[in-house]
Amino acid sequence: MGLLKYTIYRLLQAIPVLIGISIITFLLANLAPGDPVRLMLQGQQADEELVRTIEQRYGLDQPLHVRYWNYMTGLVQGDLGYSIHRDRPVSELMLERAGPTLLLVLSAYVFAIVTAIPLGIIAAKRRNEPTDHISRIVALIGVSTPSFWIGIMLIIIFAVQLGVLPSAGLVYPWQPPEAAGHDGYLEHWIESIRHLILPMIALGTLQMATLMRVERTQMIESLQEEYVKLARAYGVPERTILRKHAFRSAQLPIITIIGLNLSTALGGAVLIETVFAINGMGRLFIEAIQQLDYQLIMGVTMVLGAIFVIGVVITDISYAYIDPRVTYGERE
Amino acid sequence: MSEPLLRVENLKTQFFTESGTVRAVDGISFEVHEGEIVGLVGESGAGKSVASMSLMRLVEDPGEIVGGEITYRGETLFGLEEGPDGELRERDEMLSESEMRERIRGREIAVIFQDPMESLNPVFTVGGQLREFIELNRDLSSGEARDEAIRMLREVGIPDPAERYEEYPHQFSGGMRQRVLIAMALACEPSLIIADEPTTALDVTVEGQILDLVDDLQDRYDTSFVWVTHDMGVVAEICDRVNVMYLGEIVEQAPVDELFYDTNHPYTKALLDSMPRPDRTVDELDPIEGVMPEAIEPPSGCRFHPRCPDAREVCTRVHPETLEVDRADGYPHRTACVKHDVFDVDYDGSVPLEPGDEAETRVGGTGTEAGADSNSSSTGEEEPASPDGGDPQR
Repeated sequence: MGLLKYTIYRLLQAIPVLIGISIITFLLANLAPGDPVRLMLQGQQADEELVRTIEQRYGLDQPLHVRYWNYMTGLVQGDLGYSIHRDRPVSELMLERAGPTLLLVLSAYVFAIVTAIPLGIIAAKRRNEPTDHISRIVALIGVSTPSFWIGIMLIIIFAVQLGVLPSAGLVYPWQPPEAAGHDGYLEHWIESIRHLILPMIALGTLQMATLMRVERTQMIESLQEEYVKLARAYGVPERTILRKHAFRSAQLPIITIIGLNLSTALGGAVLIETVFAINGMGRLFIEAIQQLDYQLIMGVTMVLGAIFVIGVVITDISYAYIDPRVTYGERE
Repeated sequence: MSEPLLRVENLKTQFFTESGTVRAVDGISFEVHEGEIVGLVGESGAGKSVASMSLMRLVEDPGEIVGGEITYRGETLFGLEEGPDGELRERDEMLSESEMRERIRGREIAVIFQDPMESLNPVFTVGGQLREFIELNRDLSSGEARDEAIRMLREVGIPDPAERYEEYPHQFSGGMRQRVLIAMALACEPSLIIADEPTTALDVTVEGQILDLVDDLQDRYDTSFVWVTHDMGVVAEICDRVNVMYLGEIVEQAPVDELFYDTNHPYTKALLDSMPRPDRTVDELDPIEGVMPEAIEPPSGCRFHPRCPDAREVCTRVHPETLEVDRADGYPHRTACVKHDVFDVDYDGSVPLEPGDEAETRVGGTGTEAGADSNSSSTGEEEPASPDGGDPQR
């Protein structure tokens, strides 16, 4: 029961956060120079009458606070707004674009976790040995290199020079194979993976490097705990100590980092989608800003904000799963 | 007397740090017989814990056992010999690391650590940790180990053991956790338990309960103990024989009553004077002056002389061996103080040290080894000690 109550409580706590995000985004978007209607009519001679008609139709002639109020009343009723530039409801666009972004971010995380944790453990175990030094240098490079640059380098090496992997777009595994022109599911899925590899590495490297550094530090600390010494004194093999006794308590900060870095990962996805020509939310967001498509900007931001908030709540919940000392705010 | 369970001879453990070599344990010898509780007493930094961890070969980097011999039931836990190239090397019969892990640690020698709050893993259930160690060291199935764990929890006085089995360490009080750690040690059915200040972190009433419990369990299981403590009160209560350590050396070794009533070494005497005793009435307790010097550059001569009320000039020059001065209950009473007659170094004719004379004290060297059969003792000359070429203690 505690878990459900706690989850609801945390989600309710997220509401003020989302309201804050909405106000800031709304102001920033509207304060940006330029007029969305004139941008839309670009190329045509801007007819004052036409501009005014369009503004009236989308409520752009009203004062800012009224427009914000209108937008928010729509939002609480589940209406994400309407993209004037694309002439489609924002929610429809979101449904189309959220899949690729989530696929990219999740696969980048999987890549980061499955590489960073074993590497971090090995570095901690072989502290101050060559393995440790190499992994620390790799981590330092990973942390300090921009993801879009890694993406471009990967494209140059693997797509242009070697020609072994595709450099643009994604193949969505949830689509039927025929839609992508593939003969069967096997080919379809192999193609999905092949398309995913480069953007996944480009986006995941930063996460991997961050996680590895934290994993190393935590494991070093954990390996010096009294209970690890006790396990050694009772003849527990070193492998078991690494994988069980020292490992579990070292993972709490990792979970925190994973949760908090969701914002970095989502932000990085915007760049990576551009570099790899992936039609996800990130690219949609950039286009929306260029076109000053207010409601689309708002929609993307709110959805990304919600994903982040949910990620943090999941992080908090998984704490208690790993550490029995963490309770959901109830006393025994 | 039968062969001792554990025999430690001239054990030396050093830490190789950037600021120099720390001689944490510097040539100690003692024995533990079946069913005995042997105390290892001294101030913080005397090398008690390092000595006890050396017994299981669990000294952590940058520490290393550099000399001596540890024999447990005829097996060589540690032993060096001179190789054909003149270098010291591990003896063939010395147990390998995996033999230590599989046959000795937990199975034959178990430990109880000082801090019950830190010694249990916070993310696993108490029962699960207990079960794991039992399973590992007694070749029981998971189910049998579980039953045994619950039985042991009951044995050490934990109420509702079956329910507490499923709980996590943070749900236990300090005293209860220490009971769990004792259960852990006993449940592996070792012949020797190293208890490293197991009651220091507990309050006095709980300490009393734990000591009673150990006394009671020790009678029933006939386990031997090496009991590391700084508390002479605890020593009086449970130990059979005592080793007093100062700066990496054993300065006095005797059965407990002999040590208390026929105290030989001024350090032991100072330790005893610094605590309240029911058999003596004093107006004020007498703390030991100063702090123990660093083991990195021990004082010359007798290491205790800068703090010793009875120090004389000879003490700054002569480093006393631990020699047998008496016998009590069939055990030797050994001491390392030149005041005693067996040391033929003319203590009585030497000038007493005044406060301030310590400035003359040379540090760094261990000074001359003095012993009844040592001819260097009469010359009174200092010889710089080579790193591992210290004189044998007997």
